[in-house]
Amino acid sequence: MEIRVAAEKRFGSFTLAADFRVTGERIGIFGVSGSGKSTLINLLAGLYEPDRGEIFLNGECLFSSANKINIPTERRRIAIVFQQPSLFPHLSVKSNLLYGFKRCEPEQRAIDFATLAAVLKLENFLPRGVNNLSGGEKQRVALGRAVLANPRLLVMDEPLSALDDTLKFQIIPYLKSVSEQFRIPYLFISHSLVEMRLMADEVLVVADGKIVEQTTAEELALARMGQSRIGYINLLRLSSPRRLDGLFAYRWSGGELLISAGDDQPEALFELSSKDIILFKRHPEAISARNLLRGTVVRTFVSGNSIGVELACGGQRLVAEVADQAVKELDIVAGSELFLAIKASAFRRLG
Amino acid sequence: MFSLALTDYDAISLSAKVAVTATLASLPVGFAVAYVVTYLKFRGKVLLEVVINLPLTLPPVVVGYFLLVLLGKKGWLGPLLESVGIRLIFTWKAAVVASAVVGFPLLVRSIRIGMESIEAQLIQASRTLGAPWYDTLFTVILPLSIRGIVAGSSLMFARSLGEFGATIIVAGNIPGVTQTIPLAIYEYVSSPTSETMAVSLCVVSVILSLVVLFLHEVIGRKLVRRA
Amino acid sequence: MKNFLLKLLLTLLCAFFLAGSTLAGEVNLSIAASLREVIDDLSATFSKQNPGVNFLKNYGASGTLAKQIENGAPGDIFISANLEWMDYLKSKNMMDADRIRTFAYNTLVFAGSTAKQVATMQDLIKLEKIAIGSPKSVPAGEYAMEAIKKAGIERQLEKKLVMAKDVRECLMYAERGEVDGGFVYRTDALQARQAKILFTVPQDLYPRVTYPMGLTLAGAKNKEAEAFYKYLQSADAAAVLEKYGFGLK
Repeated sequence: MEIRVAAEKRFGSFTLAADFRVTGERIGIFGVSGSGKSTLINLLAGLYEPDRGEIFLNGECLFSSANKINIPTERRRIAIVFQQPSLFPHLSVKSNLLYGFKRCEPEQRAIDFATLAAVLKLENFLPRGVNNLSGGEKQRVALGRAVLANPRLLVMDEPLSALDDTLKFQIIPYLKSVSEQFRIPYLFISHSLVEMRLMADEVLVVADGKIVEQTTAEELALARMGQSRIGYINLLRLSSPRRLDGLFAYRWSGGELLISAGDDQPEALFELSSKDIILFKRHPEAISARNLLRGTVVRTFVSGNSIGVELACGGQRLVAEVADQAVKELDIVAGSELFLAIKASAFRRLG
Repeated sequence: MFSLALTDYDAISLSAKVAVTATLASLPVGFAVAYVVTYLKFRGKVLLEVVINLPLTLPPVVVGYFLLVLLGKKGWLGPLLESVGIRLIFTWKAAVVASAVVGFPLLVRSIRIGMESIEAQLIQASRTLGAPWYDTLFTVILPLSIRGIVAGSSLMFARSLGEFGATIIVAGNIPGVTQTIPLAIYEYVSSPTSETMAVSLCVVSVILSLVVLFLHEVIGRKLVRRA
Repeated sequence: MKNFLLKLLLTLLCAFFLAGSTLAGEVNLSIAASLREVIDDLSATFSKQNPGVNFLKNYGASGTLAKQIENGAPGDIFISANLEWMDYLKSKNMMDADRIRTFAYNTLVFAGSTAKQVATMQDLIKLEKIAIGSPKSVPAGEYAMEAIKKAGIERQLEKKLVMAKDVRECLMYAERGEVDGGFVYRTDALQARQAKILFTVPQDLYPRVTYPMGLTLAGAKNKEAEAFYKYLQSADAAAVLEKYGFGLK
C-alpha cells in the first residue's frame, strides 16, 4: 500500500500542511493531542476537504485541487475505527457489523462474516443491542464493522485511548490478527510509543500540523529514550512461569528471569524500562537485585542527554540507559562484556 | 348543560381531519428542511432560517392575509392555480395550508433539535462505510431523530387544532366544510343567545388537547426506553 | 431622574386607564354595519353644527353589538338591523324602552361578480360558494337564511355557505370574487365596485328589514347623545337616508 499526500488545511489558527509518501502494510502516525493527527486522517477519508493539494492512495487520486478531483467519502473505501466506538445505537451488533458489508459490491465482499465474528469472539453478542456492551466489546464490534466493509485501508484513530491498560493489550492481538488474517493494510494512530512498536512498522511523526519525521517505530523509541520520563521500554514476551520464593521465574534466553508482578498465565508481555538496568564492569558481589545477567554490547548511541547501550543477552536484545560519564568510566564500547542487574520489581505486566 | 349540535360534530371531525392532513403533509417537507438547516452550509442560510421561523412570530391573521394575497383568485399564484384547476381559498385545503404554514416552524424546530443531538461521528462512520448522503439520511439520521419528529408532529397537530386567525381569512367560516372547532366557538361566542353552546365545544377542545398531549408523552417515553 | 420617570409612568398609567371612561362631549354609537356610510355622513354633519361633540363609532353585526352592550361596553345609541336584537336588549333592561323608534328600512339583494346566469333564488343551486352573514349574529344573514328556507333550497345550499361576521364582510367576499356572490342589502350593493346586483330577493320570503334605534340607559343621561338622537329623526337625516338608498316607510 502506498499513501502520498501533499495537502494543506486551515482551521482558524491551526494549519495542517502535510507532505509525505509512505509505503507498507502497517503504518503508524505518532503525535501528541492537537498535533494534527485526526485532521490528517479526516482529509484522507474525505471527511474534510483540503484547502489545496493532492492525495493519492495506491496510485489512485482521491483529491486534487488542481484537477478538481474529490472522490466522496463513501467511495474511497477507507474505513475508520474511531476513539469512541461510534456504533449505531439503533442497530444490533450484527446489523452494525454488516452495515458496511451490505454497501459493498458483491465482488468486493471478500471477508467471511462467520470467520470474522469468530476471530473477534463476537458470536454470542450478535443479536444484542450495542448500548450495554463494555468498552472493549464495543471496540471489537467497531473493528469488525470496519473490516467487514473490506476497505483498502483501515484507519484506527487512537482506538485504545478510551480503554484501561489491561484491556488495551488484550485488544491489540485482535487488531493484529484481523489485519493479518484478512490482509488489510492499516494506519494506526496513537500517542503511545509502546502501542506504536507493537502495531506499526513505519511511523510518521506529526507535530504542529507538519510531518516532522518518518522512521521505524523502533528507531523512534530509541531516539526518544533520553528525553522520555520512562526511558526506552524493553518489551519482553515471556512464558512458562513457575513459582519460586514468592516470585515468578520465567524462562528467558537459556536462563530465568525473576519477576514479582507475574502470574500463572503461560505467556505474558512485560515492560522493562532502560532506566531500570544497572551495568557492571565486573561481576558484582551480594546485590539485592534478583536478576544478574551477562551481555555483550552491540552498540552505543546518543539519545537526548543519555547514552543508550544496546546489549545482546543470550540471543535476546536489551537496551540500557546510562549517563555519558558512566560510559567513559566503564569504558563501554561495542564488544564490551558487561553484567546487568535488574530488580524483580522492575518488570511491569502489560497483558 | 353539555349538548352538541349536529354542526358541532362536523366541526370536530373537520378539526381532526385538517390537523391530521396538515401534520402528515408537512412531515416530509419539515424533515427535509430540518436536514438542510442542520447539516448543510451555504450562503444565505440565515435568511432561510428567518423565513422558516417567520410564521411563529407573525400574528396568524397576517399569515392568513399573505396566503390570501398569494393564493387568492386575484393573487400572485391565483391565475396559475386556476389554470391547473386548483381552487384553494374557502376550501378545507386552505385550512390545511393555514395550519401547515403556522405550525411549520414548530415542526422544523423539534426535528432539528432531534437531529442536532445525533453524534456527528455516527454520520462520519456511516460515510466511511460506504453510505452516500441519502443512505445515511434514511438509515442513521431518520431513526435517530424519531423523538424530534414525534415531538414536532404532536406540537403541530395541537397547534392546528387551535388555529383560527389564518384559517378564518383563507378558508373562511363554512359550516361542514371549513368550520373547525375554533371557528365554531367564535361564531357561538359572537352571538348573545348561543353563548352556552360554546361551552360544550370548549370542553371537547380541552379533551382533545389533553388526549394529544397524553399520547405525545406516552409515545415519547416508549421511544426513550427503546433507545 | 428616578423621580421623573416615576411621575411619567404614573401619568401614562392614568391616561391608559382613564382613557376608557367617557368624557363630556363624547357619544358612543353602536351601529349595524350596513349603516356605516350613512352614519359617518350624519355624524360629520352634526359635529360641524355642534362643535365639541366627539363620536366614538362601533360598527358591527347587530347581535355582536348587543352582546357587547350587555357585557358593559360603552354605548349611548344602538341601531340594530333587525327587531330581535333591540328586543333582546330591551328584555335585559338596558334600553330606554319608551324612546325606541324605527330609523330606516332596507331590502335584501343577492350581489356578486360571477359570470354565471343568476336571476332567481333557484339559480343559486348552480353556484359553488355563497357568502352569508352568520345567522347567529348578523341580521342580514338571518333574513337570507329565512329566504333560503322559504324558497326550499336549504339542503341544496348546505356546505356552500361561507359565514361572514357582518354584512360588510359578506360584501367584501362578493367583491373579492372568492365566492360567487353574497346576500347583502341593496344599500351595500350600491357601494360596491365590482360586485353587481344579480337579483332582488322576493320580499315574501323574508320579513321586512327594519332598523330600530334606541338610547341606552346611559345614553338617555347623555345630553349630546340625546341631541344626536333627535337629529337622527329629523327631515335632514331622512333626506340623507334616501340618498343612500334606505327606505323610510
